[in-house]
Amino acid sequence: MNERLKKLYQEVIVRHSREPYHFSKDAVGEMIEAYNPLCGDQYKLYVDRIDDKLQSLHFHGYGCSISKAASSVLVQSMEGLDLASAKEKVASFMAVLNPEIELENLPIPEEYLAFEAARSFPARLKCASLAWETMAKYLENLP
Amino acid sequence: MQSLTDIRKDFPLFERHPDLAYLDSAATSQKPRLVIEAIQQYYQNDNANIHRGIYDLSMHATQAYETARQCVADFINASDRREIVFTKGSTDGINLVANSFLAPLLEPGDIVLISAMEHHANLVPWQQLCLARGAHLELIPVSESGEIVWSDFVERLSEKVKMLAFVHVSNSLGTINPAQEMIAEAQRRGIPTLLDAAQSVAHYPIDVQALACDFMVFSGHKVFGPTGIGVLFGCAERLEKMTPYQSGGGMIRRVQYQETSFAPIPQRFEAGTPHIAGAIGLGAALNYLQSLDRLSVLKQLDDLRDYATEVLSGINGLRIIGQAKAKSGILSFVMEQAHPHDIATILNEAKVAVRAGHHCTQPLLEGMGLPGTARASLSIYNHQADIDQLKEGLQTVKQIFG
Repeated sequence: MNERLKKLYQEVIVRHSREPYHFSKDAVGEMIEAYNPLCGDQYKLYVDRIDDKLQSLHFHGYGCSISKAASSVLVQSMEGLDLASAKEKVASFMAVLNPEIELENLPIPEEYLAFEAARSFPARLKCASLAWETMAKYLENLP
Repeated sequence: MQSLTDIRKDFPLFERHPDLAYLDSAATSQKPRLVIEAIQQYYQNDNANIHRGIYDLSMHATQAYETARQCVADFINASDRREIVFTKGSTDGINLVANSFLAPLLEPGDIVLISAMEHHANLVPWQQLCLARGAHLELIPVSESGEIVWSDFVERLSEKVKMLAFVHVSNSLGTINPAQEMIAEAQRRGIPTLLDAAQSVAHYPIDVQALACDFMVFSGHKVFGPTGIGVLFGCAERLEKMTPYQSGGGMIRRVQYQETSFAPIPQRFEAGTPHIAGAIGLGAALNYLQSLDRLSVLKQLDDLRDYATEVLSGINGLRIIGQAKAKSGILSFVMEQAHPHDIATILNEAKVAVRAGHHCTQPLLEGMGLPGTARASLSIYNHQADIDQLKEGLQTVKQIFG
């Protein structure tokens, strides 16, 4: 196995895709849909929000290991956040996927960095960003 | 007899990518040197617009274009080259038939019958037409092995059916449908037929007179020709009665400000400057195919398919989707744990090109409970080493996902 592959399919991603966090069909909250018509990856995100606070999130659906792991990390890291911090977290995850951003001195959570390898697999960037972009849109559109 | 190794040498791409196991020919085929040269030759030495040019160059171009049409007619054994309409591809041809042939005839309550294994190209145009007319799109179901059950088919051929359109070789399951028998059954009841031969024409002899289909479509790029060119065969009797699909230059007899009379077939269906280089390239591709001993090439391809099937079946946790008795060199599969896109990414690192996803047959795969498959598709330039490389790549998939 080559190094590029090892970096992409490192432990964080494989673990999250095998045992996704809060992977459940019967969740409460607002349902938002993350769908990539090009590849067919499709997740439902359930956001349990009270006013300014994201109490907890769940998700369900199907897709590749990268999109599933990225959704799992999203659901885990949004839990308990206020909206402003949630937006910050989304921005830092998106920075990890952006090849133009130097990550070295940025305060980025360890788990997010696992997805940096997707930068060298341009065909797979969309997998990593799918749920996060959906979340970003949701947060933007809140009153 | 030309061996597969010799054939491989005819395709310059493999000189540039000697390590590539190209297993995506169902998406598009590679191009033989002859085709690339024919296109270059046209642009470099013979380029001019066709029809109505009085000067030599234009007459040469017209001749080359019409020779390509004859070449297509010969290849599929059409009795008359006027039955060959150049299109952009299979999709374009199906849209043409839906709009120019069926739309004027279809009434509320009528039925268009297709199979459940159609490519979106042979589904969406009929579906949209049915929706617009209050007609019904009915489906011939597909069994678990990926086949049409004969009785399921026959019982759907009611009086209400105004069109039967189906795929010869399924692009996602590899199933070879009994085209001849199905068409005969429809014809007996006076139902017009369209055969989608996009996946079959490159490998299986197609004789439109023997098939007796009303329409048949295929794409140039899947049969070793260029992209952007395709063929609609329509029996003259049907084409003659059809109104144009698009209108403009090239398809007219006489134009006045308030009315137009249209050109005879096939020009009536070729509005605008056609893809002249594409038609010439397609002609070259078909000539190339004719120069091969096609039966023995097919035999070798079948052997390779059997080898690939055996190799894939030997991998634990891998399941081949589409187990029809009559099957082409298209092998769709899924693996426990690993999603098709992960499989394709890992195979890409092993220089194996496969396609992953729903292969434009989304309702079929969803019906089978699958988000998609990985698909290895074979062609005349593939050899055992490609399959061995695939096998090795799949070992890495197992290593990562267990």
